[in-house]
Amino acid sequence: MPAKNHKQWLADPPLQPGEWVDSRVYSDPRIFEDELKNIFRRTWIPVCHESELPNLYDFRTTSIAREPIIVCRGPDNEVRAFLNVCAHRGMIIERRPSGSFLDGQPSGNPKRMTCMFHAWQYDLKGNCVYISREKEGYQDRLCKENVGLRRLRCEVKFGGFVWVSLNDNPIPLEEWCGKPFECLRKSLEAEPLEVFHYHKAIIPTNYKLWHDTNSEFYHDFMHYHNRVTGFNDAYFGRKNESFEHGHVVVGTFEVNYDKYEGFESRAALSFPYLPPNQWYMIDLFPGMNFNLRGSALRCDVVTPLAPDKVMIEFRGLGLKRDTEEERQTRVNHHNSIWGPFGRNLHEDLLGVTGQGATMLPGSEPRRILHGRRENQTIHDENGMRHYYSEWGKWMNRLPRDPAQPYLAPAAADAAE
Amino acid sequence: MTRNGADVADVVRDTIYRATLLLDDQKWEQWLDLCDDSFHYAIKSFSPEINRDMTYFQGSRKDLATMVKLLPKHNTDHSPLRRHTTVYTVDVADDGKTASAVSSFVVYQNLLDGVNSHIDAGESRLFLVGRYIDTLKLEDDQVRFIKREVRLDNRRLDKGSHWPI
Ligand code: FES
Ligand SMILES: [Fe+2]
Repeated sequence: MPAKNHKQWLADPPLQPGEWVDSRVYSDPRIFEDELKNIFRRTWIPVCHESELPNLYDFRTTSIAREPIIVCRGPDNEVRAFLNVCAHRGMIIERRPSGSFLDGQPSGNPKRMTCMFHAWQYDLKGNCVYISREKEGYQDRLCKENVGLRRLRCEVKFGGFVWVSLNDNPIPLEEWCGKPFECLRKSLEAEPLEVFHYHKAIIPTNYKLWHDTNSEFYHDFMHYHNRVTGFNDAYFGRKNESFEHGHVVVGTFEVNYDKYEGFESRAALSFPYLPPNQWYMIDLFPGMNFNLRGSALRCDVVTPLAPDKVMIEFRGLGLKRDTEEERQTRVNHHNSIWGPFGRNLHEDLLGVTGQGATMLPGSEPRRILHGRRENQTIHDENGMRHYYSEWGKWMNRLPRDPAQPYLAPAAADAAE
Repeated sequence: MTRNGADVADVVRDTIYRATLLLDDQKWEQWLDLCDDSFHYAIKSFSPEINRDMTYFQGSRKDLATMVKLLPKHNTDHSPLRRHTTVYTVDVADDGKTASAVSSFVVYQNLLDGVNSHIDAGESRLFLVGRYIDTLKLEDDQVRFIKREVRLDNRRLDKGSHWPI
């Protein structure tokens, strides 16, 4: 059909329900607030990796759904998470991105988390252990034992990632995403991993558009590198497998890195138990991605900031025991494609920035097609359909008409 | 120190400024002409988040030549970059064969096609802040880069870039 008039442009496409979504899911501020409340405050988020706090008393700060969070390694080697919020008058307790509580602070003592404002101090289990001029101010009405930090569910799992939930009773982490991690579990858990790369992007787009990009490989047409190193029969046979709770795994195949001038095979530095030059990808609801290209693991975590604004944190990981030379090679493998100056990441970010430009809050709703069906192989969009079906349940909204309550998808999709 | 009537430190400074102009104008081959065959380039940054020094990008002269040759095959943000470089120090080695230089730079991005050009094109945004740590080879007739380390303060890099900085 040629170009369309307004009515034709807004009409439903000749696809099954569930094969498109309404662009308001990416732009409506009310939907965004519901997502923070219904999804991000209730699920598990891998906020950092344990190698970022290797020593007793080390800490890292982060946030989920606008709530500041501190993760620390206690004197008992246990990694715990708390709201990074003082019980007194709400000062953010730790302002640095990372550090150690072994050093004293201007307002407080070593081995304590001290709020600089009025010098309340907490131990690394979150107990309040000091209130300045406690008796003078509170007499017998309130004491240290009555206050303490808000502790959060926290587990170190699936290759040493630190998972935190704002929900006291989330679906158990193993049940939440153990199955999608099965394909890489042996490789990620054979020995300790270590983060070697960190950078962040704040992009004017919706967080789900980033996750969509990570969930489909049809956009390899945008990546010259992937076209020349990837497009072969095994690539087109790669399967997108859906798992309970909205997760998707993209199965592996062998990448021919040497087809791109200047690139090399990664076989020599494959992760443990991983056949040479394989490439697995795990996409977790609601917006986390674990991507193992043979020798280097990448992890993306989204922090939604507004309907049209997302922070994406990018990490690269290798084996803790790497020699300096091995590590340098892994870093190159990671960054030549996925680094901020690499071949693919820039293109991916341009893509979602361009989508964000057409889906500003208040822009006219339109249909976003998720309807490719190719036997659930790499250019099938079943991964996104699976995600939005889960999204609909958590939000009680119909992705193709988000003002309507959720309805189970048609049989064709349920079969996936 | 003078050589052929010119101050060596001045020649080093001129070479760094010439490189800045060539990079700004995306004259990649001419920029590489200022680099010795042994040239090594790296973009690095320290992350307090993971408490680690990081290499965001690195390569030999040959790697860079291949990369810039393939740039037209990639989709990219074509917003021009403008580097403001100030050479702070030039130290010539005792044997007079090499010099090291530390420069401070900021890079502005003049938006063209990065977001929605109708709204954003024409705007200059601060893109990067950092230092060049250069080593140059001094020979009778020429000065050539043998090493450039681009030290970024930024760890928030948004869309990043396909281009050398
Ligand atoms: S707000 Fe923390 S001690 Fe007062
Ligand atoms: Fe991509």
